[in-house]
Amino acid sequence: MEMDKRLDLYLEKVEKYLKPLVISERVDIVQEIKSEMCELSANGFSAEQILERLGEPKALAKSYLGDVITRDSSFGWSRMLALFAYYSLAGLSGMVIIPCLGIMAPTFMACGIVCPIVGVVKMIDFLLGLHLPFLQYVGIFPESGVELNPLLEFVGCILIGVALCLAGWLCWKLLLRYIKTVSQTGRRLSL
Amino acid sequence: MNLDDWKSQIKRGTLEFCILLMIRQKPSYGYEIISTLEKYPILSAKENTIYPLLRRLLKEGYISSSWQESAEGLPPRKYYAVTQDGLEYITAMSQEWENLLSAIEEIKGADNNGNG
Repeated sequence: MEMDKRLDLYLEKVEKYLKPLVISERVDIVQEIKSEMCELSANGFSAEQILERLGEPKALAKSYLGDVITRDSSFGWSRMLALFAYYSLAGLSGMVIIPCLGIMAPTFMACGIVCPIVGVVKMIDFLLGLHLPFLQYVGIFPESGVELNPLLEFVGCILIGVALCLAGWLCWKLLLRYIKTVSQTGRRLSL
Repeated sequence: MNLDDWKSQIKRGTLEFCILLMIRQKPSYGYEIISTLEKYPILSAKENTIYPLLRRLLKEGYISSSWQESAEGLPPRKYYAVTQDGLEYITAMSQEWENLLSAIEEIKGADNNGNG
């Protein structure tokens, strides 16, 4: 259907004012207004009447943008306080939580890997009677001087290694969860 | 007189409900919705009210939309239909609407008794 030039021009203007929206949404809106114009025209409205009905292109675009703009630029004390409280809390807790978890996660994991390796070395040392240096310091209660059954100590090393790895993994998950929560809350507040 | 002001406030509060009810009856496109609403002066609203409202309902997931070919010579129409969420929303709104009506009835009754 042939569109009046003024109607085409009107749609162009509306599209221009809808700039803050993503292109797919903009195209969809303009398409729908165009469809509306055609329906009106098919029902006997003249181009002037249609333009009068729809109002200024800027005003029409604004009615679509309405909640986008007010959401972005609204200023209120409660929102201000919420933002302030949030960033203070997130900043302070982040200063402690992020470095702590960030260091604990890899350290626990590294210890968890080293522990069974040392256990294996001690086991080999015992089985082959090598008497390697420093291995007397390896054990479940090394400083008390109690030497447990080497087999028991080997099993102990493996178990402790697994526990440390789990602890490291847990720290890592906690860190991710913390960062995710903080950034999501931040995004929601600043919308 | 503030009647017009009051009427526009009522319209603002009920248009969403009415549009959802209309779409629930049968999927409709914008022009259809606007012309139906025009039959009722207290509800009639122009494009710059209805289309953004439909878009908001769409974003909130109460309705869905699909472009469909239309009659000869006219461009495709964007049809709106109520989603499951929308149906639940309508049920909740209907309940509140009933509450409001019965509250008004009751208050009116009390008023009549007081006068009589």
